[in-house]
Amino acid sequence: MRVLKLWRLYAWMDLTWILQDPITAVTYFISDLFVNLTLVVGALLLAERFDGIGSWSRDQVVFMLGYAILVRGIVDGIFGFNIAFISRRIGRGQLDHVLIQPQSFWLALLVDGFTPFSGLTATLPGLVLMVLAGQRLSIEVSPGWLGLFGANVLGSLGVILAFSFLWGSLAFWSPRGAEEISSSAMRMIDQLKPFPLDGVAPLLLGGLLTVVPAGFVAWYPVRALLGIAAPLPTGLVTPAAALGFLALTILVYRKGMRHYGYTGSQRYHSMGHRR
Amino acid sequence: MSTAVKKQWPESQRHRPRPAWLLFARQCRATATMAATGQLGEGPLFLMDYLLRFLRVAVLLALWRIILSGKGEVSGMTLDGVLTYTLISEVFAEPLAGRTEIAWLLFQGDLGGRFLRPMGLVGQLVAETVGRWLVGLVLFSLPLLLLAPLLGVNSAPSSPIALGWFALSLVLAVAVGLAIDLCFGALAVAFHHNVYMVDRVRGGVTAVLSGAMLPLALLPGNLGNLFSFLPFAAMASAPLRIYTGTGPIGPLLVSQLVWAVLLWLLARWLWQVYRQKLAVHGG
Amino acid sequence: MATPARSATIPWDTAVELSGVWKVFSRVQRAERPSELLRSLVRPRVQEIHALRGIDLRVQKGEIVAYAGPNGAGKSTTVKLLAGLLTPDRGTVRALGMDPVHERRRYVGRIGVVFGQRTELWWDHPVWASFEWKRVVWDVPVERYDRMLDFARSVLGLEEFFNAPARELSLGQKMRAELGLALLHEPEILFLDEPTLGLDVLAKRNVLTFIKDLNREHQVTVMVTSHDMSDLEQLAGRIVMIHQGQIAFDGDFDRLRRGVADRRRLSIETETAGPAPDLPGASLVESSGARHEYVFDATRVKLTTLLEAAASQVNVRDVETHRAPIDDVIADIYEEWTRSGNSQRPSAATQ
Repeated sequence: MRVLKLWRLYAWMDLTWILQDPITAVTYFISDLFVNLTLVVGALLLAERFDGIGSWSRDQVVFMLGYAILVRGIVDGIFGFNIAFISRRIGRGQLDHVLIQPQSFWLALLVDGFTPFSGLTATLPGLVLMVLAGQRLSIEVSPGWLGLFGANVLGSLGVILAFSFLWGSLAFWSPRGAEEISSSAMRMIDQLKPFPLDGVAPLLLGGLLTVVPAGFVAWYPVRALLGIAAPLPTGLVTPAAALGFLALTILVYRKGMRHYGYTGSQRYHSMGHRR
Repeated sequence: MSTAVKKQWPESQRHRPRPAWLLFARQCRATATMAATGQLGEGPLFLMDYLLRFLRVAVLLALWRIILSGKGEVSGMTLDGVLTYTLISEVFAEPLAGRTEIAWLLFQGDLGGRFLRPMGLVGQLVAETVGRWLVGLVLFSLPLLLLAPLLGVNSAPSSPIALGWFALSLVLAVAVGLAIDLCFGALAVAFHHNVYMVDRVRGGVTAVLSGAMLPLALLPGNLGNLFSFLPFAAMASAPLRIYTGTGPIGPLLVSQLVWAVLLWLLARWLWQVYRQKLAVHGG
Repeated sequence: MATPARSATIPWDTAVELSGVWKVFSRVQRAERPSELLRSLVRPRVQEIHALRGIDLRVQKGEIVAYAGPNGAGKSTTVKLLAGLLTPDRGTVRALGMDPVHERRRYVGRIGVVFGQRTELWWDHPVWASFEWKRVVWDVPVERYDRMLDFARSVLGLEEFFNAPARELSLGQKMRAELGLALLHEPEILFLDEPTLGLDVLAKRNVLTFIKDLNREHQVTVMVTSHDMSDLEQLAGRIVMIHQGQIAFDGDFDRLRRGVADRRRLSIETETAGPAPDLPGASLVESSGARHEYVFDATRVKLTTLLEAAASQVNVRDVETHRAPIDDVIADIYEEWTRSGNSQRPSAATQ
């Protein structure tokens, strides 16, 4: 209940920001939209040029890209203000702003970055691409399929956040050196997610499902959703992987927080803090 | 007052101003060194970025093999050529992107303070940028070149002469990239410091249009031909085509030179116009 | 000179207690030469910094305590420990009967913290939106919120910029907004780390008045750090000085002055402009035309002796004497510490 109350508060603040300064807000929408599209435009152009990528048809690739954009948009909309790029908050000494709030630290991370109006607009092109490609692929949207879709979106989300937080935890021990490590991690995910990985060497594929789990951001879940692989159990792998990554991340992050409790932060920079 | 004779340095031994070019060189060297060593920060964690980039290269190479295997020559490019193109694009990723710190300085409001240094703004930015590149060159680019055989990529240029022309083309590409960055920086000031938007658009536009991400020849329809006339192609596509022998050296170099001259003139003009606005807004 | 106002309430219970608190930080040493860069990457040199060394401090409820010391003495570290942002390496920190770290969520709901160089305001939102945000996140009851908001608005003059985005506020306005924000939930203790940093004299006066009003009307315990000694003297009845991680003095300002020296200033105006008279036992600070200013230690030389010496050399038209600014006193102390290289106690610490 408190989560909903706080989400409502942050949603209201996000909306008022848009209404008070609509020109700036529009420029942010456009630039975010632009960036999210350019991340996948390479794959889109290749799919167009070669009528698909590997064994994936053009429409399957488009559906996958739409899914990738959708997931990224949700990350931006719910975990804005550098929550997703947690190493920036840690490295810049901004965690103290969270610690002086009388609420659970994890709750603060869940709500602090909630920008549904300014952030979730990036999901729209993703939805459009998925709908268009889905129609051409004649996907049967049943309640079961929607459930699988929802579970995999949550799973992809969990994988992205877990990866960013896992690497971001390094900032507890090295605030200066690891300040931008979450950005590097997210950039890797963004650059590797738009490509179907069927046919990639097993060792490399293993790396893309573990060390840098870009494979779970779009490719693996969409295989199940499009029926390229059997929906079950393939459709449950991404959510399960997300749980595994999150468990590991929480372990490491708590260790980092304990360390932070003793060392604090000797640096402070307000960049990105509530702005 | 002491009556001891104060030792006077002979005129010839007093500090004389250095020649301008020497002073500038020393300033650049000191600035580049600071930028380079500043990256080393606390411990080896910054190396993670390079490790992740290695992985990215491996994935891109694997993807090209999936896409192009069995297709022979496509738009004048073979699979081997594309692999070399991709590898060299990653080896020289930073110079080919031509990014300075200008957007970051504008965003932080620190740019104005740079005018307090006895050194031109452009000189400072270029020196810092080159300093940062040198770290990447040592820690990423050279190891990647050495690992090329293990990745199954022939990293050699199409010919020894091509290597020489590539070096010249790379310098011109850097010049074009830096000029474009400065133009975008001026636009950020013009748009009332909407640095966020301008920087994001710049990054997105150049990634696609420069040919660093995908060879322009492999874009669908006539897009590649269209993009090759834009200045962004001079940033990455031109030198990479020269290196892989997939483009005419002369015309490519000439187009890079023309773009470099035009864009630097444009950058100069834009900064003359918007410098005042920068100072008025407090940097 | 007006007597500075002191804490109005009589303290009767302990608000803050630090017992034998140690805090040590490790700092990685950067390589001095390029040839050392590689070695420093693999095996960096680490320097230990003892920010606090066995601090014992107790603050009673309702007190206003000034917490001062030279740069790097450990002031901000102490505030962070008390705000629950840091865990002590040794010793215990308790405030309001709670452990600030392990009972953080409950604890921070009862304290207010203002860091002079950081802001809790939302940059692109009007001030009132930040206040509303705080009301929800701190779960402040509406009645308390309204009451404290009225208090803050009237004393801090928030009306003039309540609708302005934080990014458009001047430094003084921002600090007033921060103070207002910090007390919306009616904290029992207020920790202020450099609250007057960068403020002009009028803004400073407003802030100091606000803190005194807050202490008097709401019995809020205040612990304030600052480099501006005259501000602290106006505000606090008690000053705790910290040097190299240890408490060097704990008492009131009068005892601080007496403990170091009774420094006073003497201004002499002569009939005509000319060189300053030579006054044994006094040091000339400033001389301009017919006006000459000296500093002397009243415990070592009498004022009458100086005036006799002056009168014997020049025709004195006017004389003015007053206590040396507290900044001079503190500067002397810091200088003495630097010279001696260890903490010097000008007088016995009080309980």
